[in-house]
Formats: sequence, structure tokens, C-alpha cells
Amino acid sequence: MTDTMNPRPDDDLQALAGEYVLGTLSVVERADVEKRLPGDAALRSAVDAWEERLHPLVALAPPAEPSRTLWPRIEKSVGSMLDGPTASTESQRPAAPEQRTGWWNSLQLWRGLAGSGFAAAAVLAAVLATRSFAPAGPQYMVVLVAPADKAPGWVVQTAARPAGGGAQQLSLIPLGNTPVPEGRSLQFWTKANAWRGPVSLGLVTPGRAIRVPIEQLPPLEADQLFELTLEPANGSPIDRPTGPIQFIGRAVKVL
Amino acid sequence: MSPSQASEDFDYEAALFACAQGDRQALARIYQRESRYLLGVALRIVRQRQYAEDVLHDAFVSIWQRAMTFDATRGAARGWIYSVVRHAALNWVRSNSRDVQVDEEATSALQDGMALDAHAERTDAGEVRVSLGRLDTCLEQLEDGRRECIVLAYVDGCSHGEIATRTGNPLGTVKAWIQRGMRSLRECMA
Repeated sequence: MTDTMNPRPDDDLQALAGEYVLGTLSVVERADVEKRLPGDAALRSAVDAWEERLHPLVALAPPAEPSRTLWPRIEKSVGSMLDGPTASTESQRPAAPEQRTGWWNSLQLWRGLAGSGFAAAAVLAAVLATRSFAPAGPQYMVVLVAPADKAPGWVVQTAARPAGGGAQQLSLIPLGNTPVPEGRSLQFWTKANAWRGPVSLGLVTPGRAIRVPIEQLPPLEADQLFELTLEPANGSPIDRPTGPIQFIGRAVKVL
Repeated sequence: MSPSQASEDFDYEAALFACAQGDRQALARIYQRESRYLLGVALRIVRQRQYAEDVLHDAFVSIWQRAMTFDATRGAARGWIYSVVRHAALNWVRSNSRDVQVDEEATSALQDGMALDAHAERTDAGEVRVSLGRLDTCLEQLEDGRRECIVLAYVDGCSHGEIATRTGNPLGTVKAWIQRGMRSLRECMA
């Protein structure tokens, strides 16, 4: 059967991505695509390709000089984001430089955490907790602390591989109940040193333990970063964190 | 200077990276360099200057907030900046019914402008053809109706319905032309 008689399976995806970039989708369809993009790599790469294909057409729009007041307005909006907490983060004032550069690049934060004594106690707790599982392979644990006061809030540990060689899992265990503002969510991320950016491990309910299958990820490694960020109700609209860090920590090898 | 020439000696990727590091001067440099072209793109879609400037304001705030998410392996930095602005304008125009908001004078001025440059590549063989590159060749191969639909959608932010009204073609025809035109473009540019 020829290609023309048997449309390629990605034709629908290409059509959707193409009309998203072209601009002919309705507001609902547009919102739908934007919601799918972070979790749908095929759609994302189709959209990227369409953006690149059609981009030269922007040259058909004649330039228009902005009014003199526009830049000061932009500068003011950007400045207020740097200088003060945003409405959504009331008490947890985010550390602006960390947010801007990405928490995974923040030396300042890691220097701060390295000095505090919580890690040793937490490692001991993890060894005690994991001992009964008799796991195969190295075990890691992570204590996630609040950047502001370094108070531990969650513990991550690699769960034992289920008997019969099932999927490797991570457990995220709350140490207390973390309130999340109305209409926001907590999203769980990880990033190893060599990765370009963090990977989402899903949304988390405050105060509730979750198990995350990680067979899709490379094996856990020492120093791998984990964090929880405050995001819109359905999670970050993109493939990176967009909101302030609530808890953050690095993996420590315990066995 | 055309927008495509503007990109020759400016490192957009470095500017975005600096924005991600919290360097407000980098955002100012992007604005200085591109704001008149970006406002042109937004104005063409939004059609009213005041709202186009609001869209550009919001888009620059987005560029600042999302600079750290820019991934050079997924496309060029300058294209990314234009995408942020175009999608902000498209989201604005799709959630605000512009039929009631555009006055007649603005509409006729736009139509005049459109008549002049929607197919500028035919009358002005020089600059536009050069800047559209491969896309121009592929657009050229499309039948007239399809090419016009695609340009009206991308450049003027027209919905299927608006394109049908403007070109005097049935809605179903417009939708089919766009679908087929896009498929041909993708094959042509592969």
C-alpha cells in the first residue's frame, strides 16, 4: 500500500501542530494544545518544526514603532517580579536569583544546605527504613528541605525492586503537612548533573506519600537533585518548573 | 533594515541566557533590537495599537520569566522570541472577539495594506523573496487560494471564518485548502 492510500500515523498530529502555529485553532483548542505540550514530546517537536518552517512569514508584517511608554512599563513589571514576592507566594518569599537561573544551577543554595546538619540524621533514618527491604543495587535517599529555613519536609528513597523484577520505584514520603495555596499544586522534579534540564515526576498531594515508577529514567546517581515547586493547579505548563521552590535536596548513596 | 538582516550580528541565544541569569540589560537589548518588528507582528494580528502594545508588554514579561526554559536544541532563539509574541497575540485575539472592536477605518486601512503586501513576493522580487527563502519557493508552488489562506492566517491572525469572509470562499473550502496547503508545505520543505 502506498503512502497516499495509507496516511502516516502522525498526519493528525502534524495537522494539529501546524494549525496551532498557523493560528487557526479556536481558543479552546489552543488551550488544549498548550496543556498537552509539556507532556507530549511528539507534539512538541511537531510544533517546533512548524514554528521554524513558517517563521520567515513574520517578515511580511510591517514594523511598528512602540510608544515611548512601553519599555518603562515592561521594565517596571519585570522589576516588581525581582524585587518583591508575587501574590501567589505570600509567606514563602522565593529567592529571586535561584529562580532566574534555575535551582539546579544555584551554588548559593547548595552551599547553604551543605553546612547544615540535617543530612547525617536523615541518612541514618533512611538506612533504618530501607534495611528490611534487602534491595538489590545501590540505594539512595534524599531529604527535601525548604530553601528558606532548611526545614526538612519530605524524604525520597528508592524503593526495593518488587519481587519478580518489576519496575524500579521512588517513594516520596511527607514529614509533615505542607499547605498549598488554593488553585496551585506541588510538582515533583529531578535532575542528574549531566542532564540538560529537570524531568517532572508528577504532581504531589501535600501530606500524602507517593510512589513513582522510574524505569523510564537513567539509574539514580549520587548528587542527583530533587525538588518540589509550586505550580498552577494542573502542573507546570512547560517542561520545566515555573514556580518557586518549596523543597529541594540531593541524593545520597546509603548502601 | 529588515528583520532577517537584524539577526546577523546579534546573539539572541546569549541574550536569552543572560535574561535567565537575571540580567535586565539583556532583555533591554532584545527590546531595542526587535521591538518594532515584534510590535509589527502583534499589531497585524491584534489590529489595535493599544492592545498590541499590551500584548507586547505581556510577551516581554513572558520572555523574561521563561528565558530559562529556552532550549537551543529545539530551535533558534530569535524564532522562540517571535513565537512567544505571536502566541500571545493569537491567544488575545482568539479570546477577544475582534469583530465588534475593530472600527471600519482600521479595517479598510488593513485591507489596503494587505492587498499591497500579502503577495509582496510577486511585485517586490527582491527583499521579501530573499528573507522568505525556501518557504517562499514552497508557497509559490501552492495554488493561489491556498497560499492566500495561509498568509492571512499566519500574518493577519485570521480565523477560518474570517478568511472565508475576506476571500469570499465557503468555510469548508477554506478549511480544506489550509489543511492541504499545510501538508504540501511540509512535504515541500522536508
